[in-house]
Amino acid sequence: MKRSKTMELGVGLFMLAGILGLLFLALRVSGLSLEPPGDDFHLEANFANVGGLKPRARVTMAGVTVGRVESIDFDPEWYDARVVLTLDDELEDKLPEDSTAAILTSGLLGEQYVGLSVGGAPNTLADGDRIRDTQSALVLEELIQQFVSNMAKE
Amino acid sequence: MSESPLIEVEGLRFSRGETEIFRGLDMVVPRGKITAIMGPSGTGKTTLLKLIGGQLAPDAGRVRIAGEDVHALSRKALFRLRRRMGMLFQSGALFSDLDVFENVAFPLRVHTDLPESMVRDLVLMKLQAVGLRGARALMPSELSGGMARRVALARAIALDPELILYDEPFVGQDPISMGVLVQLIRRLNDALGLTAVVVSHDIKETLSIADYVYVIADGRVMAQGTPQSLDVDRDPRVSQFIHGEPDGPVPFHYPARDFYDDLLGTGGPR
Amino acid sequence: MTALIRRLGRLGCDLTEGLGQATLLLVQSAVGAPSGEGVRLWLRQMYFVGVLSLAIVLVSGLFIGMVLGLQGYTILVDFGAEDALGQMVALSLLRELAPVVAALLFAGRAGSALTAEIGLMKATEQLTSMEMIGVDPLRRVVAPRLWAGFVALPLLTIGFGVIGIWGGELVGVKWLGVFEGSYWGNMQASVAFVDDVLNGLIKSLVFALVVTWIAVYQGYALVPTSEGIARATTRTVVYASLAVLGLDFVLTALMFGGLS
Repeated sequence: MKRSKTMELGVGLFMLAGILGLLFLALRVSGLSLEPPGDDFHLEANFANVGGLKPRARVTMAGVTVGRVESIDFDPEWYDARVVLTLDDELEDKLPEDSTAAILTSGLLGEQYVGLSVGGAPNTLADGDRIRDTQSALVLEELIQQFVSNMAKE
Repeated sequence: MSESPLIEVEGLRFSRGETEIFRGLDMVVPRGKITAIMGPSGTGKTTLLKLIGGQLAPDAGRVRIAGEDVHALSRKALFRLRRRMGMLFQSGALFSDLDVFENVAFPLRVHTDLPESMVRDLVLMKLQAVGLRGARALMPSELSGGMARRVALARAIALDPELILYDEPFVGQDPISMGVLVQLIRRLNDALGLTAVVVSHDIKETLSIADYVYVIADGRVMAQGTPQSLDVDRDPRVSQFIHGEPDGPVPFHYPARDFYDDLLGTGGPR
Repeated sequence: MTALIRRLGRLGCDLTEGLGQATLLLVQSAVGAPSGEGVRLWLRQMYFVGVLSLAIVLVSGLFIGMVLGLQGYTILVDFGAEDALGQMVALSLLRELAPVVAALLFAGRAGSALTAEIGLMKATEQLTSMEMIGVDPLRRVVAPRLWAGFVALPLLTIGFGVIGIWGGELVGVKWLGVFEGSYWGNMQASVAFVDDVLNGLIKSLVFALVVTWIAVYQGYALVPTSEGIARATTRTVVYASLAVLGLDFVLTALMFGGLS
């Protein structure tokens, strides 16, 4: 029965390694956090144009990823795009009220992400608040069009 | 034959692809006797055993064991019936991942809840009966062909079946192990009162232990009787088979056109 | 002409019959309550099918991860986007390469062995003799192997993915000098657990079922001669590989292709 013992040990280690591997994929590779979702800190921001921004895109401050885009949908009240951001909850009640959000592009061809810059107001943003000051995505076609019409005027 | 027979085969028909192997076979196997089924190679003797064991289903006809129609049983009932049968396969068919002891213990473990000590006693008794108690720790790959067949025999009798089917027990054995097997089969039968069906084409050995013999050819029973009566049978086909004559009604040559025509390339097409 | 049509018809009949038999085999062996004995047999097969395939899967995973790191870097560096290397390595591994390549290796290593083993048991009449002892070989021989394959391949796939990502880091970060923080950070930002990791695992489960099923069926239904075993083993590898690649396209289209 000794052979069957080593066999059991081998299979046990194999399965343990598989489970640990899955945990690694979850935590280290996909950045899944084990915290309960209720602790999330959400902010809303309305943009006139989101360009190519996608759900799950990064949200950065000073170039550091601090959260991701939760959802993007059309706001029928203002006819613009409502973007819900999920941020690290340590930022809750730390961001000044007049912080701004901009849709930026990483590199010339890179993906689009949301960049936050800090304002100077004494009041801070709480969960569910809205960022007022936003800057839309640069749409290449519009830029070119402006450039061409300016050229034509001259 | 005062008691009802153990196995009754009635009008059995079976074909594999286009070839008809059995066309209306009738056979009766009495209880407590050794019945031999003989015939030239390729007459479907092994197929007959598989039909009796319920592994194949016939096209027509019936096989009844102890009054139960084998092919009308549910899968479950068939497996229950098979516990009362043992079968010895041509190759022994020992489970290659278990050692000799576990091979013999296998039927006991799956069909009974006996305590380990009793399983051990029973296995050693069966191994003692075939003279291989000392080989219990060997793996099947370490056994000679004759030993493997004896272990398989011990396994076949592990559950004390009423019926044992022997598929070509003597094929490919040296004279000594052949003698051992012949003696074992006879002794098991006398000691345990088993019913045995021996399928074989080894005439001398089979005739020496059988109580009753069926000779099958062309999908039918060609002759039947006790070994003595067959020995003096006048039917030329029976006599050719029993006495092992190379040529006779069963031709030596596979059907072909005339030899000289074939060599010279003359004559009609094949 | 009629002969040709008849041959086509026979092909159709054979195909249908084979599929039916294979389905019957799957249902009869996989359905049923497990017993203590069954768990022991399953464990044994897990060892043969899973643990013994670990080496080849891990080594291949490491090399594929390293190659991805190298190739990805040379392409991405042209766009100044070498920071996205982690994302590229992880996504291609988790979505495609780990499930598919692990399944192909599994078909070659474990599938062929399963076919040959069951075929040999059939050729030496072990399956028949089991039946005559009153034990269903489907439950005793086929079922533990099916379940072992079904559990082992996803585990192997996880191993493949993990070691591949590490191999990519080895080449990209340690050798070519991609910043370690951006390797992992970009990866974490772009890999989603449900969309990428779980979908990859679902693929792997489907492949596991198909590969093991093909292997076991080929073994169970083969012609019990040495030539028959050789042919069936080859067939297992060919059919299983084709099935994996074909199913991969279908699953990818369903999961990532925007079809819904």
